Amino acid sequence: MTLKQGKNNGIYQVLSIHTELRLERRLEALGLTEGTCITILNNDKKGSLTARFRGTRFALGRQIADNIEVKEADR
Amino acid sequence: MADTIHIAFIGNPNCGKTTLFNAFTGANLKVANWPGVTVEKKEGKTTYEGQEFKLIDLPGIYSLTSYTMEETVSRECIMSDEVDVIINVIDASSLERNLYLTLQLLELGKPVVLALNMMDIVEERGMEIDFHRLPEMLGTPAIPVSARKKTGLSILLHAASHHKEYQSQGPYIHHHKDKHSSHRHNHHEEYAMVYEDYIEDKIDLIMSALTKQYPEIVNKRWHAIKLLERDSTVTNSCPLSLENIICKSYEKDIINQKYDFIEEIISEVLVNKSEKAASTERIDRYMTDRWLGLPIFLCIMALVFFFTFTIGDWLKGYFEIALEMISQYASSGLASIHTNAMLTSLIVDGIISGVGGILTFLPNIFILFLALAILEDSGYMARVAFVMDDIMSMLGLSGRAFLPLLLGFGCTVPAVMASRALEHKKDRFKTVLVTPFMSCSARLPVYVLFSSMFFGKYAMLVCYSMYLLGIVVAIGTAYILSKLDGSKAEHTLLIELPEYKSPNARTIAIYVWQKIKDYLTKAGTVIFIASILMWAVLNFGPHGYVTDIGESFGSLIGKAIVPVFTPIGLGYWQIIVALIAGIAAKEVVVSSCSVLFGIQNITTARGMDAMVATLGELGFGAANAYALMVFCLLYIPCTATIATIHRELGSIKQTLGILLFQLLTAWSISFLVYHIGLL
Repeated sequence: MTLKQGKNNGIYQVLSIHTELRLERRLEALGLTEGTCITILNNDKKGSLTARFRGTRFALGRQIADNIEVKEADR
Repeated sequence: MADTIHIAFIGNPNCGKTTLFNAFTGANLKVANWPGVTVEKKEGKTTYEGQEFKLIDLPGIYSLTSYTMEETVSRECIMSDEVDVIINVIDASSLERNLYLTLQLLELGKPVVLALNMMDIVEERGMEIDFHRLPEMLGTPAIPVSARKKTGLSILLHAASHHKEYQSQGPYIHHHKDKHSSHRHNHHEEYAMVYEDYIEDKIDLIMSALTKQYPEIVNKRWHAIKLLERDSTVTNSCPLSLENIICKSYEKDIINQKYDFIEEIISEVLVNKSEKAASTERIDRYMTDRWLGLPIFLCIMALVFFFTFTIGDWLKGYFEIALEMISQYASSGLASIHTNAMLTSLIVDGIISGVGGILTFLPNIFILFLALAILEDSGYMARVAFVMDDIMSMLGLSGRAFLPLLLGFGCTVPAVMASRALEHKKDRFKTVLVTPFMSCSARLPVYVLFSSMFFGKYAMLVCYSMYLLGIVVAIGTAYILSKLDGSKAEHTLLIELPEYKSPNARTIAIYVWQKIKDYLTKAGTVIFIASILMWAVLNFGPHGYVTDIGESFGSLIGKAIVPVFTPIGLGYWQIIVALIAGIAAKEVVVSSCSVLFGIQNITTARGMDAMVATLGELGFGAANAYALMVFCLLYIPCTATIATIHRELGSIKQTLGILLFQLLTAWSISFLVYHIGLL
């Protein structure tokens, strides 16, 4: 599943990221790499969503959220 | 006393770095650009116990790679001899992410002192940080500070001055229970950040190659790590043949292992990590709600303008009384010393009336900037990007592009500069193109004057409609452009949503003061000169000094262009001259009107009545006034903005194209508005 398909308050683990290189670098610098756990905060809208990873809240655009492959994290 | 110690402040965006920097330096700092690039460089000075410190505020960055201009600039500055000690400002409430930059800084090999900011938020959440364990693991002093309450500041400088000699820190105390290194060096005694054996082996190999080929390099370990990451700058500056060592980029491994180590630090240092639903998340439930988000934003903006106009106008009244008094004293004073009529006219009609008229708008502008500063400092601005993202993406722009647009309400110059944050060139061009349509504070005097003259009690509504029209035109233009180029824009929103906090009075005071200072400087320079020029153009004609303004150069120029402006209801040569003068700065339109129509203190009730009467005789009514406001909103921006647009786009052709487009848009929309208004 993709991050965009996640539910509010769900915790997901990143399997892979498929974006252009520059964006991938920026995500890496923010600590979003394979294996990172993401908590979705608000995924109500059609487009962007808000999520928390590595202790910080972010707003992620749809293009990003659609291109991050995740699985539900084991609690 | 010892030489000045040079300290660089570095940290993630929103870590309170600038607040801390301001706490040390106050408002007396030097702001310039880094040579060659358009990244802001701030410098300041402070003394502590007789020791002088030079402080450099570096741009907020997340990592020290060289993918962005900000990162490259920061890295070069830190590596240069310009910096003795690095103060790494850390937002203690998001320690995990902030430490990533810290680990990179430590690898540079320069003395690093950690300043843990926002400790109040940490305590609020019931968490604690172990200030003994953190320095043990990182080998560097960690000082809790509060930039807002100004605590821990002297200790920080103390630590910086004592720590500046220690190149390598330590001793490091690790408890790597499950990691038994079979590596031949035990790097855990030497470095804070130690990678897994297969990376460390390669680092050792590259370091020995570096020692052979580049013995002058000081920090070989950092260079080796950068070569493993295939960092372009380092690879180019010290090329090595490493085919047998590096077969791929190890960047991902290095990042992941850094974050692994950070997790280890967090688990040992952060006590009581109970994540109770922080108030930020509760507030965000409403602020970023699917349905409520947009109405809340519109209400906040309406409130901002309500205050700007009501309180601003009330204060403005007192400024006007003062202005009228000054102008009367000046007139009678000059008459009593028998100054000749020409000089009196220059001082009273030209300078006092022109510059003074602009100064009376200071309260409105003060309140507008105050409100924008509070919104920004509280952390709300980033939410606006999220709320607006869906609408913006329909226009082929990222939600992030909304920030420059919003800043445009204050001043177009920084707004155009803020478009730099956008990654894609096409996005940037579009944003630069539409930003000047957002009504900046300099246009406010024009609206206030003409709306209160012609619309009475609906004046505020008319002003608000200008702002809305600006947004609509900006958004409409972006929409048409995205339809024209047809491409699905490659925009992506990626923005940090910082913790909400009560705005800091000092940060806001400094921000607002800088804006007010800009405004005053502008009144004293550009507007001062424009007022004198206007006076000269209007009092001299082909036959020298004229008493009838109708024979002046100004009127000749204006009259020549009248036919072009008649269809939009602005076919009055005085108005045309005022608009041309307004290209110097938009406020000049107001001051010029007072000179052009020969009305002193145009912003006072008496001045306005006289102006309405004069204009009425010419057949200039409410529809004309509205068309004028619309034209002012949309036509060519001020010279400062034109210069900024040119600098940001680096192309004269594109800049001229933008100007022409804006002129045409202004004309067409004024035409529409005027003719609708006549019905």
